[in-house]
Amino acid sequence: MTPALADRLCRVLVGCYPSRWKRRYAEELLDVLDQHRAGRRTVLSLAVGALSTHLDPDYRMEIHLMPRLSRDAWMGVGIAVTVPACVLAIVVVPQIFKNISESHWHPSNGGAVGTIAFSRDQRILVSAAGGPPWSATSTLWNVTDQARPRRLSEFEGGNPTTISPDGRTAATSAFGGQPALWNVTRPRHPAREAVLSAGFSGGLWGEAFSPDGRVLAAASTSEVVLWNVANPARPRLLHTLAAAPLQTGNPGNFDVGDGDLVFSPNGHLLASASGGDQVTLWNVTRPAQPTRIATLTGPRDYFTALAFSPGDNLLAGVTYHGSVRVFRLTGPAAPLTVSTRRGILARARFSGGQRSPSSPCGPGCDVTASYALEFTPDGHALTVMINRPEPYPSTSDRDTVFTWQVASSGALSDLTTFFRNVSDVQPTLAPGDRIVADGSMLNGGVHLWTLPGLRP
Amino acid sequence: MHGKFDDLGRFADPSVLILTSLSDGPKHGYAIMTDVSGFSGVAMEPGTLYGALSRLERRGWIRPLDGGERRRPYEITAAGQEVLAEQLRSMQQIVRTGRQRTATA
Repeated sequence: MTPALADRLCRVLVGCYPSRWKRRYAEELLDVLDQHRAGRRTVLSLAVGALSTHLDPDYRMEIHLMPRLSRDAWMGVGIAVTVPACVLAIVVVPQIFKNISESHWHPSNGGAVGTIAFSRDQRILVSAAGGPPWSATSTLWNVTDQARPRRLSEFEGGNPTTISPDGRTAATSAFGGQPALWNVTRPRHPAREAVLSAGFSGGLWGEAFSPDGRVLAAASTSEVVLWNVANPARPRLLHTLAAAPLQTGNPGNFDVGDGDLVFSPNGHLLASASGGDQVTLWNVTRPAQPTRIATLTGPRDYFTALAFSPGDNLLAGVTYHGSVRVFRLTGPAAPLTVSTRRGILARARFSGGQRSPSSPCGPGCDVTASYALEFTPDGHALTVMINRPEPYPSTSDRDTVFTWQVASSGALSDLTTFFRNVSDVQPTLAPGDRIVADGSMLNGGVHLWTLPGLRP
Repeated sequence: MHGKFDDLGRFADPSVLILTSLSDGPKHGYAIMTDVSGFSGVAMEPGTLYGALSRLERRGWIRPLDGGERRRPYEITAAGQEVLAEQLRSMQQIVRTGRQRTATA
């Protein structure tokens, strides 16, 4: 029995419980089914549960209106009625399938968007809105028409969230902070396929698919775990990589973006932010036997976004307090630091164009910023975006876009700067293109725009 | 052997696991399942879970808390703690006897 069939049968069987029982428990039971991987045992437990509830004197209301029968006789009547009813329900599953959709989880639209990811063809985008684990959501969007993105579905998820390059599988955070895989081949009806629970501890802060979509890397504060997800319904744990515990200085470490765990374009390298100011570089050519290549050190500040160049020979990172560093990956064991640009946070502007917020803000306000980082498809330029929000309750922000020309050696030159006022936070750059997705701070929405002068 | 658990029938053992799970704080349905799996290795299915939950609630051994219609947490009541303690004492006696007899066998 496939999980999808078992899930449908389970939802049909929930409908077989007595009405009064359903009014009280059905919503809770459906919520558990949303999170549980259904199988034959689940179907059997619900069939037996429905039957025994019908036989339960507290739910057997009709008994007072009918002749008194022995307990065995009532059990026989119950079986005779319930079993054909269940069989009938199974036969008419296709007809009542629409009703099953009522049991889908209905999240709220609120919350600040924390992570955004594009499919490789940039037709599908997935975003995750924040909030506590029991109310966090992930949203699928059709962004074929950038001017009119269409919301396709919302499902249980939360930060971090990403999508496979082929746009068929989304990885989210499940209840309890474990990675979860969703089948989004029918993007209006995402179906959870698996929760990845083996070998994982600590807070989940990053997920990334390999370029061929066969491997999922998930990062907690102290380790990176690799799964073979070639068959997302049956993921296999490949390896657990121990890295220096991430020290972001932020409560819970959950406000780190998803750009700080990235595969190289050829899929041979994996870079993950680690420690207080490091990037750990792994050789994942054979993902079941990965090896640590090097630990790269940043400018005493933790990396919040990383990106490989299209030719796999450069790795760029931006730190939380606004330093950009480029590493040249000359040999497997000896990456070189070739460029460092400090203090770009101080050059980013607030919504009115000024260097400081328009109204006073409390301690720590000066470091509030979100970053995105990408190379251009030809590898000749590096773009770093900084979003600086005004202090609450203002919703005005400004995105500042820094673009450097990049030599083949990794040297940066010819800085150009572009400003744009926005009312959103959490910018993301589409890989290989100039599309910017800004995630809303307030309503879970996503706003798309294109960097000017760089795209026809 | 089961005492007050007798009339729970096939839900007696799941009930012990659920009450044990709720002993360290309120939990909703799925959290109970994962907790029970974690401390006992028993993979409780949703039908079994809610069969037992409805019976425990009716007996006043657990009570639902406010938390939304879909993720309603449950907490163990004083009566629930009492019957759980009684049941655990009974199980402890079985363990003790079993160990003695297998040791001398």
